[in-house]
Amino acid sequence: MNIGSIAMGAGFLLVLIGLWGILTRTHIIQIIVSFSVVDTGVHLIMVAAGYMHQRTAPIISEGLAASDAPSLVVDPLPQALVLTAIVIGLGVTALMLAFALRIHEKNDTLEIKNIERLRW
Amino acid sequence: MIRTFGIILTLIGVAFLFFSLFLEYETPLELSGSASYYAASTAEDTGSANLVSAIVVTYRGLDTLGEVTILFLTSSIMSYMLKTKKARNQRTFRESSELLRTASALLVPFIILLGVFIFVHGHLSPGGGFQGGAVLASALVLLLVADPLYTVQSRILSVIESSSGFLYVLLGLSGLLFGAGFLDSRVLPTGRVGELFSAGLIPLIYILIGLKVGTELSNLLSVFHSVQGQDLMEDEGGAR
Amino acid sequence: MVAMFNPIYFVVAGLAAAFLLTLFHNRERLSYFIMIIALSLMMLISLAHLASFLAGTGEIVQVFTAGFAPPFSINFQMGPPEALLTAIVSLVGLLSGIYLSEQLRKTGAYAQAVYIVLVMGMNAMILTRDLFNLFVFLEIVSIATVGILFLSRSRTSVNTGFTYMVASGLISVVLLIGIVFAYMNAGSLNIDTLSESLVMAGRGGSIAVLLITLAFLLELKPFPANGWGIDLYTSAPGALSALISAGGMSATYYALAKVLPVGQWSHDSLVAAVGGITFIASQIIALKQDDSRRLLGYSSIGQIGLLLVVLGFSEALGDRRDFIAAGLLITHALSKSILFYISDMVQDDSLRGWAALRRKPVLLVLFGVAAFALIGFPPFPSFFAKWDLILLLNGGTEGYYLLSAMVLAGSLIEAVYLFRWFSYALKLPHEDLPELASPTSRLIAPVTAALVLAGASWYVSTLVSGFSQSFLIPVAFILLVAVIDRLPAWSKNVISIAGVSLYIADLYPRIAGDLMTMIFAGIFLVGAVLTLLSGFYYKGRRAGFYPMALTMFAGLAALIEAATILEFFWGWELMAIGSYFLLIRGKKSMPHGLSYLLFSIGGSYSILYGFSLAAAGAGGVIAMSSLVGISVMPALAYSLMLLGFLTKTASIGVHIWLPGAHGEAVADIHFMASAILLKAGVFGLITVLLAMGSEAGYTRWILLALGWIGVLSALLGNISAAFQESAKRLLAWSSIGQLGYIVWGLASMSHLGWLIALGYSVTHFLYKGILFLAIGGIALKIGTPYMYKMGGLIKRMPYSFFAVLIAIITLSGVPPLVGFSAKWITYNLIISEQLYYQGFVILIAGIIAFLYLFRMIYTVFLGQLKDNLRSVGEISIWFRIPMYLLLIVILVLSFLPNTLLRPIGDMLSGIFPEEAIVWTGSRGVTSLGYFDGAMIMYVIVGIFVILTILFLLLRKQTQKVKQFNIFYSGEAPSRPELSHFSYNFFAHYRKAVGALALPLVTGFWDRVTEIIHAVSDFIRRIYTGNGQTYLFHIVLYVVVVFLVQSGGYR
Repeated sequence: MNIGSIAMGAGFLLVLIGLWGILTRTHIIQIIVSFSVVDTGVHLIMVAAGYMHQRTAPIISEGLAASDAPSLVVDPLPQALVLTAIVIGLGVTALMLAFALRIHEKNDTLEIKNIERLRW
Repeated sequence: MIRTFGIILTLIGVAFLFFSLFLEYETPLELSGSASYYAASTAEDTGSANLVSAIVVTYRGLDTLGEVTILFLTSSIMSYMLKTKKARNQRTFRESSELLRTASALLVPFIILLGVFIFVHGHLSPGGGFQGGAVLASALVLLLVADPLYTVQSRILSVIESSSGFLYVLLGLSGLLFGAGFLDSRVLPTGRVGELFSAGLIPLIYILIGLKVGTELSNLLSVFHSVQGQDLMEDEGGAR
Repeated sequence: MVAMFNPIYFVVAGLAAAFLLTLFHNRERLSYFIMIIALSLMMLISLAHLASFLAGTGEIVQVFTAGFAPPFSINFQMGPPEALLTAIVSLVGLLSGIYLSEQLRKTGAYAQAVYIVLVMGMNAMILTRDLFNLFVFLEIVSIATVGILFLSRSRTSVNTGFTYMVASGLISVVLLIGIVFAYMNAGSLNIDTLSESLVMAGRGGSIAVLLITLAFLLELKPFPANGWGIDLYTSAPGALSALISAGGMSATYYALAKVLPVGQWSHDSLVAAVGGITFIASQIIALKQDDSRRLLGYSSIGQIGLLLVVLGFSEALGDRRDFIAAGLLITHALSKSILFYISDMVQDDSLRGWAALRRKPVLLVLFGVAAFALIGFPPFPSFFAKWDLILLLNGGTEGYYLLSAMVLAGSLIEAVYLFRWFSYALKLPHEDLPELASPTSRLIAPVTAALVLAGASWYVSTLVSGFSQSFLIPVAFILLVAVIDRLPAWSKNVISIAGVSLYIADLYPRIAGDLMTMIFAGIFLVGAVLTLLSGFYYKGRRAGFYPMALTMFAGLAALIEAATILEFFWGWELMAIGSYFLLIRGKKSMPHGLSYLLFSIGGSYSILYGFSLAAAGAGGVIAMSSLVGISVMPALAYSLMLLGFLTKTASIGVHIWLPGAHGEAVADIHFMASAILLKAGVFGLITVLLAMGSEAGYTRWILLALGWIGVLSALLGNISAAFQESAKRLLAWSSIGQLGYIVWGLASMSHLGWLIALGYSVTHFLYKGILFLAIGGIALKIGTPYMYKMGGLIKRMPYSFFAVLIAIITLSGVPPLVGFSAKWITYNLIISEQLYYQGFVILIAGIIAFLYLFRMIYTVFLGQLKDNLRSVGEISIWFRIPMYLLLIVILVLSFLPNTLLRPIGDMLSGIFPEEAIVWTGSRGVTSLGYFDGAMIMYVIVGIFVILTILFLLLRKQTQKVKQFNIFYSGEAPSRPELSHFSYNFFAHYRKAVGALALPLVTGFWDRVTEIIHAVSDFIRRIYTGNGQTYLFHIVLYVVVVFLVQSGGYR
C-alpha cells in the first residue's frame, strides 16, 4: 500500500460519499457541494493515476537533466489532465450555483422536492 | 424508506465497480507510451523546463483552449443569467475592521505580483496560467471582503478577458501559419531550457491564460457578489 | 483547394468570433453579424470537404495540433463521415442561429458567443481523435447548451437546466474515470492508438472501456435513464431543441462510434441492446403524450435508439452500415429540426394546438414532409435506409428476425402517434387557437431544412442499386404540379390528364403482350384518366388535390413497372401516401384516414418483412424473381406478404379502415379509392401467389386460410352493406364483399378461380366505377349520403338511374349482363374444385348482395320524391361522361364476354393448363356445360320487349297516385327519419343475422390499441419530474450495465 493506492482509494471513497450526498440531500446547495466532493474525488483518482513511487516532479532543473527525466520523473500527463478537469469542474460548479440562485428566484425554495417539475 | 434502501443498494453496486477498478490499480514502475516520450523529448521539442506546462500549452494545447473556453462560457452565461434589476436596493454592510482594510490595501499589489510571477514562470517552475490567474482573482476576493461596496470595473475585466482570448487564438493561428500546426509554440525560438526567455510561445500563451483566467474568475466573483440581496431580472417575455 | 479549409478553422473561427464579439457587447447587430459569419464559415468548411468526398476527389485530412504527431498531440480527422456530420451540425447550427436571431440579439453578445461555442463544440466533438479532448468538447457542449436553454427563462427551463447540469456532471465522472484507467492501461489517449493497443487485455482496461462506452451511451439518453434529457426538449426554445436533436445527438453518436473500436467492438451487443430497448420504449411512451415538445423529445430519443441498433450491428450490416446510419441520421436531423422549429411557432403546446398550422399552409406542408420522412416513406433517405436495414438484418448468415420485427413494430408505433398528430393538424378546428408566431424570417430555417432534405433524397436515391432513376420522373412531375397549385382546378386537371396520358403512351409499347400487366395497367391508369375527367366538375382551386392524386397513380404505375422488389415497395409506399391524403379530405374523415394509413403501414411493413426474407433466400438479390421459391422461412414470408396485400383489399380482419375511409371520401376520390386502389392489393396478391405456386406442402394451409378469408369477406361485407344507412358506406362495404370473391378465386389456385378473380377485377372496376360516380355525384348534389333522405330521384336524375340500374344488374350477377358470366364460372369452379363449404357461403353471400342492391336502387331512385329535392337537377356532366364510358364497356362485354374472358383464359392456360373454357364465338364451354353471352342477351331482351309491349297495352288499367294522396295520422315524430320507410330498411334481417355484422373485429383492434396505450401510460410513470430521481436512474443504470457486462470479464 503506497501513497498512490491511498490516494486512489480515497478518491473512490470521496466519489461514493459525494454520490450519497447527491442522491439523498434535498437542498440544492447541498447537492452542489456533494457534486464538488465527487469532482474532487475524481481529481484525486486522476492524480493517483500519474503517481509513481519514489520519483520527482516533472520539471527539468539543475538537479534533473533532460536525459535522465524518463527514469526519474512521474507521469506528467495526468497532471496536465487534472488541471483541465479542475478548471472544468470549477466552471460547472459556478454555473450550478448561478442556477441555484435562479431556482430560488423562480420557486422561492431550494428544496429539490418542491420545485416545479415536468412529468411523464 | 424504499428509496433510501435502493440508493444504498445502488451505491454498494458502485462501490463494487470501484473496488474492481481499485484491485487493478498498481503504481507503474515505468513511464508508459506517451509519458516516456514527453519525459524524453519535451525539453528538446519545446524548450520548456516544466513538462506539465509543455503538455498543457503545446502538446495538448487544444484541451487548454477548450478549458479556457469553458471558463469563458461560464462567465458569459452568468453575465446574462444573473442580471440584476436596475433599481438597486441600498445595501448595508457591517464595516470591515480597519486591520483588514489596511492589510488588503497593502497586500493586493503583492498578490497581483505573485500571480503575474507564477504565470510568467509557468514554463520553468510549478504553476502556470491557471494558477497565476487564480491568485490574481484572490486579490479581488480580499478587496471585496475588505470593502463590500467595492464596485468592480467589470467592463474593463471583460475587455481584457475577451482580447486575451482572441489573442490566444491568434497566437495559435500563428503556429498554423508559420509553424507546424495550430498552437505550435515553436514559432518563436525555443531558447535554452531553464531560461526565462525560452520555450517559444509557451510563456506568452501562459500570460494570456493568466490574464484571462484572472479576469474570468474575478468576473464570476463580482457577478455573485453583485447579486447578493438583489432581485434578479424577471422574464423578458420569453413565452416558454 | 480543400487544403484552404483546414478543419482546425472550426475551432479558430468559432473561438475567435466568440471572443471578438463580446468586445462589441453593446452593438448587438454587429455582434450578431459576426456570429452569422462565423457559423457560415463553419458550414463552408464542412461543405467544401463534403463536396470533394462526394465528387470522389476527397482525401482524408489529418490535422496535428502543435505540429506533433499523435498520440503525443491532439489531432483532428476529416473523413467522409466527419464531413457529412459536420455539415449537418453546421447547417442546423446556422439555421437555428438565424431562427433565434430575435432572442440572441435581445440577450446580447454573450449569448451569441455561447451559441457559436455550442456549434463549434459539436463540430469539434466529431473531428477530434483524442479521448480527453473529446471529453473537453463534450463539456463545452453541455455547458453551452444550458446557457442557450436559459434564453427561454421560464421556470421549467431553469429547473431543467440544473438537473441537466448535475446529470451531465455525473456522466462526465463516469467518462473521466474510464479515460484515466484506459490511459493507465494503454499509455495513450489517442483513439486510434488505443484501438490498436492491448487496453482490453486486462480487467481494469476492460472496465475502463465499458465506462467510456457507457458515458457516451448515457449522453445519448437511453431509456430509462433519460428523464433529464427529455425535460430539456420540453423546456428549451424550439430552435435549441432542433440543434440538440440534430447536432448534439449526431456529434455524440459519432463519438460513440469512434470509441467502440477502442473496445475491439466487444460492446456492440450492449449498444444494440440499449438502442433496441430505447427505441421501442420511447415509441411506446410517446403514444400517450399530449405535449408536442415532449413527444418530439421521445421521438428523437427513439430515433437515436434505432441508430444505436445500427451501430451495434455493424458486423452484420458490413459496408452498408454507413449508408444506413447516414440515411437515418440525415432524415432524422433535418425533419426533427423542421418539427422543432414549427413547435416554436405554434403557441399552444398540445398536439391539438397544431391545427393552427392550417393558417399557414407552408408550415402544414413542412409538417407533412417531416412526418413522412421520419417514418421512412419514399422518396426520403430513411426509406432506403430502413429497407437496407431490414434486408441486411434478415439476410446475414445468422438472421436477426426478431430484431427486425421489433424495428418494424417500433416504426409502426411511431407512425401511429406522428400521423395521429398530423391528422389533428389537418382536420381539427383551429378558430379558437392562438396565433402562430411565424414572421417570414422564421420560415427561413424550416424551409431550408426541407430543401436540403429534398436534395439529400435525390442524391441518396442515386446511390441505391436495384432502383431505377426513371421512378423519379413521375415524382418530378408531381412536384411541378405542386408548384402550380395556385392555379384553378381545371387547368391542373388538364395538365394531369396530359401527364397520365403521356405516361400511358410511353408505357404501352413496353407492356403490350403481357395481358396480366395490361389488365392492371388498364385499371390503374385508364381509371386515373376517368377519375381526373370527373374532376372537371370541381369549381375553384382544389388545393393540394392534384399532387396527391398523382402521387397515388405514380405509386400504382410503379407497381406495374417494378423490376425489383425495392421498386415495388417504393410504389406501394408512394401509393399509400397519396391515397391517405385523398381519403382524409372528407369532412369527418380524420379517424378513418388515420386508420387507413396505419393499416397501410402495418401492411407494408408486413410486406417488407416478407420481401426481406425473400431477398435473404436469394442471397441478397432483389429482382422480382427472388420472390419465387423463397428458401428462408417461405411459409412465413409468403403469409406476411399476403397479409400485407390483404390489408389493401380490405379483407375481413384487416378491413375496418375501409367503410369509414371510403364512406367519408368525396365523390371522385371515392371512385378512385374503391374501384382502383383496392385492385393494387389484388395485383399484389397475384404477384405473390404466382411466385408461391401451390406445390409446396405449406401452401395448402395458406391457400385454405386465404380462401376462407375471401369467403368470409364476401359474406360479412355483403351483410354489413345491407345494414348501412349511408349509400356511400353501403358501397364501401359492398367493395369488401366483392374483393372477397376475388381473394377467394385467387386462393383456389385454379384456372377458373383466376378467371373469376381477373374477370371480377375488371367488372368490379366497371360497375363500381359507375356506382361510385353516381352515388357520389348524388350525395354531392343533395348534400347527404343518407338514403332515407333521398327517394324518387328517378324523376330528377334519369341518366344516373339508368347507369346505376345497369351497374347493379351487372353486380348482382343476374342475366343478361357480364356479371352473370362471372357467376356462371363461379358455379363451375365450386363444382369442379369441390369447394362445397366455401361455395355454400359464397352462394349465400351472392343472395345477400341482392338485398343491398335492391335497397339502394329502391330507396334512392324509386318511391316518393322528397319536397326539398323537387327541383334538384341531374348530377354533374363530368360524372356522367366517365359513367357512360364505363357503361358502354359493360354492354360490350355483356354481348361478347369472350372478348374479355377468352384472352384471360388463354393467358391463364399458361399458368393453370387444366380446366380451361373452350370458346367458340361468344359461346364458352366447360366440362359442366356451356354459356353464350350473346344468346342470353337476345333472350332477355326479347322477354323484356314482350313485357314492355304488354305493359303498354294494359296501361289503361293503371291509376296515377299523386304524392300527397295519403293520410297522416297527425303524429309528429321526433326524429322524422325514423318514420321513413327506408330507415333501417332491413330491420327484420338485422334481427336475424345482424350479429354477424357486429363489429367483433373492430373490438379486437380497439382492445389492442387500449392495451398498448395502457402500457405506454404505465412506463412513462418513471418520469416523475424529480431531478434527483433522474440522477438516481443514471447511477443505477451504470451499476446495472456494469453488473450485466462484468460477467464477461472473469
